[in-house]
Amino acid sequence: MTHETEKLETTDLPVVDPIDGSPKDSVRAQGAMSRRVGLSLSLALVLLFPVIAIPIFDSYAYVMQVGMLMLMWISMSSSWNIIGGFAGYISLGHGVFFAIGGYSAGLALAHWGISPFLFLPLAGLAAMGVGLVAGLITLRTRGPAFIVATIAMLFLFLLWFDNWEFIGGSSGLDLPLIDFPIRWLKVPFYYAMAVSAMGAVYLSYRIAHSKFGLGLRAISEDETKAEVSGINTRWYKVIAFSLSAFFIGTAGAIYGYSLTHLRPLTFFAIAVAARMVLMAIIGGRGTVAGPVVGAILIVGVNEFSVRQFGQTELNIVVTGVILLATLLFFPRGIVGSLRNSGKLPAFLDWD
Amino acid sequence: MNWAQILVLGLLLGGVYAMMASGLTLLFGVMRVVNLAHAAFILIASYLTYILFENLALDPIVSLVITMPLMFGLGVAIYLLLFPRIEASPRYIEMTVLLTFGLALVVEGILTFAFTGTFRSVRPGYASTSIRLGDLFIPSSQLYASTVSFALLMGLWAVLRFTKTGTAIRATMQNRSAAQIVGVNVRRISALAFGMGMALAGAAGSLLSFLFPFFPAKHWQWIALLLSLIVLGGMGSIKGAVIGALLLAIASAIVTDTFGPTWSPITFYLTLFLILLVRPQGLFGAKLRL
Repeated sequence: MTHETEKLETTDLPVVDPIDGSPKDSVRAQGAMSRRVGLSLSLALVLLFPVIAIPIFDSYAYVMQVGMLMLMWISMSSSWNIIGGFAGYISLGHGVFFAIGGYSAGLALAHWGISPFLFLPLAGLAAMGVGLVAGLITLRTRGPAFIVATIAMLFLFLLWFDNWEFIGGSSGLDLPLIDFPIRWLKVPFYYAMAVSAMGAVYLSYRIAHSKFGLGLRAISEDETKAEVSGINTRWYKVIAFSLSAFFIGTAGAIYGYSLTHLRPLTFFAIAVAARMVLMAIIGGRGTVAGPVVGAILIVGVNEFSVRQFGQTELNIVVTGVILLATLLFFPRGIVGSLRNSGKLPAFLDWD
Repeated sequence: MNWAQILVLGLLLGGVYAMMASGLTLLFGVMRVVNLAHAAFILIASYLTYILFENLALDPIVSLVITMPLMFGLGVAIYLLLFPRIEASPRYIEMTVLLTFGLALVVEGILTFAFTGTFRSVRPGYASTSIRLGDLFIPSSQLYASTVSFALLMGLWAVLRFTKTGTAIRATMQNRSAAQIVGVNVRRISALAFGMGMALAGAAGSLLSFLFPFFPAKHWQWIALLLSLIVLGGMGSIKGAVIGALLLAIASAIVTDTFGPTWSPITFYLTLFLILLVRPQGLFGAKLRL
């Protein structure tokens, strides 16, 4: 195990000592320094953006909406990365947790009048609970069987929600509007989503830097070897799966509230699940910064193409083509490929 | 509905399902590809049949002679374009799933762009007639589709059993590297198998075009259905696919009869889920693990 530990840790660092292969202290300190600066700067940007944006953009509500979407996808793809990237178990069913979060918060609002913003932690926990059960079942399979099982899980839940009268079935559930001046309407959603996104990135960062994260990477490298070296692979995977559901649930709760109308297909559409996967893959599976880069890039490209060419079905074609191109030409994604060639700027090296 | 009627309808539909799934299971057998785009390719053929019917009034069964070769060509082209590149990848099977997932998205988007999301169907003369046998109702369209399907399945079986290429395909299914050692050009065989799988998808698309109304996003329902029945039969086993198709078609007919048509897809999703968990190797196949 100790040998494995060393190997895994050193391969992640760009510059190593030529003699014993250990990272140079100066490089490590320098990296940590600019990583800290990078993280603080992006954090400040996220928090101050609604203020900075006021004088710059005419269509304030639109800009806030795009900002919220970016944060939402950061939250989702970073979470998905915990099981799909670190542990290497590709799930195409994570739309389920988005829906659990959205519907649990929506029902709490519609039936008991609890604000989804207050309900946020419970929405996350609900998603996590479902994730635990779903993980216990689906993670009995591996590789392609796991992918297929998660798709089956998605369709099972969709069918159930579509036919469940209590939550409005396929026609949906209406939520009361938030009581807020129209010009600033998007701001609370933006900040709530910022909390969810920062939580997801923080969780992902903490996992990447923990023994638990190391275990997950060992599982993704070679599950049998990981098991032999004493990792309880089954529980590692189930816990990773369950944790990955939490901030997808919170994102679903906020997003559902911002829509004021919940329909099963909004959450369960395979395109939603596909996007999380795509963002994590294009940014770099198994890295902390990758899903963030991927989310910003894909939301940006999507908004640009919608503004330029209108809301057409060609957007889904673009999603598919980007996925194909990434898989064929740089399967490690942007962050992974840059790191591999030693060109990753230190402020993006969050691992 | 009486049991004999359910059984007959289930068997007829099962025949079509079996043919739809045979291409998918062939691809998995030869190349270890879980082709999530299979149903999307079936839909391409359905739309092609639709165009031919609307513009040239070509009978959907006759249009098989056009859709099958076209889809064969498309299959070979896609294989050569995409798959040699990822052959050496350490996570090959997983890569193929993601790759075909991307393909499915592309096909769905293009179809929606070209044909919009509205329901289409091809209505030849026999689409609304039926044959009466005592108490039993047999819709002509299902009877024809099923007959064509079984004929194609027999054809596939004969090719695999009696031709030299078929032997090479079976050898590749059993052991890829051993086949290579005895002189099988594995890459050529893979391209051929991909083409054959797509040709079968083409035939399936033509037949489905007059059995069910279709729209671009429908391929997700179909792929779940197809995966569930080949997982039940055992991936890579064509015999298993046929038996899985017949069993599930009958099961879903019973569910439809008892709980109503909205719940019929649950048969497939639940089966898929349960089989993967309880017996990943299916009834006849090798264990679906890495």
